[in-house]
Amino acid sequence: MRASFVFGEVATGLRRNVTMTVAMILTTAISLGLLGGGLLVVRTIDRMEQDYYQRVETVVYLSADISANDPNCTSSTCATLRGQLESTPGVQSVIFESRQAAFARFQRIFQGQPELLQLARPEALPASLRVQLADPARFPSIAKAFTGRPGVDRVTDQGEYLRQLFRALNGLRNATFVVALIQALAALLLISNTIQLSAFTRRTEVGVMRLTGASRWYTQLPFLLEAVVAGVVGAVLAIVGLVIGKVAFVDRVLAGVFEAAIVPRLGYADIFSVAPILIVVGAVVAALTGYLTLRLYVRI
Amino acid sequence: MIRLEHVSKSYRTSTRPALDDVTVEVEKGEFAFLIGPSGSGKSTLLRLLLREELPSKGDVYVADLNVSKLSQRRIPQLRQRVGCVFQDFRLLGNKTVSENVAFALEVIGKPRHTIRKVVPEVLELVGLEGKADRMPHELSGGEQQRVAIARAFVNRPLVLLADEPTGNLDRDISHEIMLLLERINRTGTTVLMATHDHAIVDSMRRRVVELHLGQVVRDESRGVYGVGR
Repeated sequence: MRASFVFGEVATGLRRNVTMTVAMILTTAISLGLLGGGLLVVRTIDRMEQDYYQRVETVVYLSADISANDPNCTSSTCATLRGQLESTPGVQSVIFESRQAAFARFQRIFQGQPELLQLARPEALPASLRVQLADPARFPSIAKAFTGRPGVDRVTDQGEYLRQLFRALNGLRNATFVVALIQALAALLLISNTIQLSAFTRRTEVGVMRLTGASRWYTQLPFLLEAVVAGVVGAVLAIVGLVIGKVAFVDRVLAGVFEAAIVPRLGYADIFSVAPILIVVGAVVAALTGYLTLRLYVRI
Repeated sequence: MIRLEHVSKSYRTSTRPALDDVTVEVEKGEFAFLIGPSGSGKSTLLRLLLREELPSKGDVYVADLNVSKLSQRRIPQLRQRVGCVFQDFRLLGNKTVSENVAFALEVIGKPRHTIRKVVPEVLELVGLEGKADRMPHELSGGEQQRVAIARAFVNRPLVLLADEPTGNLDRDISHEIMLLLERINRTGTTVLMATHDHAIVDSMRRRVVELHLGQVVRDESRGVYGVGR
């Protein structure tokens, strides 16, 4: 097979249908851009999840009796609970927080609201054992094992609040993917259309190729490569779009959120780790669409 | 070289078969005309030989290949052994004369040095040696058909099929094209030409196979157009 001949044909094809080619590239770029955006959201959410769950604790609130009378967790009930928690598999650390320590933390958190501090009394706050789990998903088994034990008031999982937050974030991610999917469908149809048009404008060439005994591959390869070139160029534009989006939008609008470490910063490394996926998806999807179109519509 | 055995071809859109139990053989190196009115089945027969269509019944053999049983993958093998020429030339308007001829070799992956050697030779054979760099629209109809013949012949096919090659040309030019086809036939290439052109068939006095309503109604070794009906 002569590469120069095939590439010559590809260039001719792209040039002849320049408007369709541009439309095909732009639609592919937009749908791949959205896909890339979705993937970046997923990465960010994953990192946020890791980050946040590492910080959340399972809290075993202790009974009023222990809270009032055992400031160092030396009573047998409290010490036993602590010992049992420490020896439970999957528990990384257990820290006792006395009623005084809890009140001190409360004061620290709400120091901006003096009226609230005036109303609060240490008696309102229970002492607790704050448990750090290696795997936050182990919470239900801990809760089951310790709820109702002597000295335990209730067991709560801070992760529950996070799960609600992440449900909302995952909804955002799914919405991005749905839009990307619809765009991808439009891109597929455009690629298919462009290839049909390209084959139609070159029907004399294709006819001559068939009748002179060119193989199916030789006849179809230029069309297939046209689609792949458009797919890859679309992917590159999508990557450029993501970089511009980061610099011009994300970095500015979310600067405060990044500073406060609420959301992990989106780096160039993130975009460039998504980039190869976009290029491969662009090329493979274009090639497959091209192949199917040629099989179905173009007689060889 | 070409053999049809009890070949029938029906199309779903027509009640009458396009070809009806046709048995014909054309020997290696022979020159034969395929004549008959429009709709008699000439083009269908040529399409079967090129495996553009499959017969509904019977077997088709071309250049030692059983065309009706050929796998998709081997169709190019058949078409590399069969050249074809059409009434409408089918030249590529954006390529020069020599590029048009070279195209037939490029698409089957012939090496460049072979193409550079063979194309001028075949252009000389068809009498276009000075016009290699012209574009098709700069040529007369007769010259364009010569380019088409050069393209069909450049890979030295065993069989040359011509479907009304003189249909768009006046009498003198048609005569020149026939001389060219005769010259190609003398190199050993089997030529089968479908035509309406009485004058040409009568002047050449070659084998004539006449089709009528899909059946062979006459097969004469040195026939003329109008006799026998």
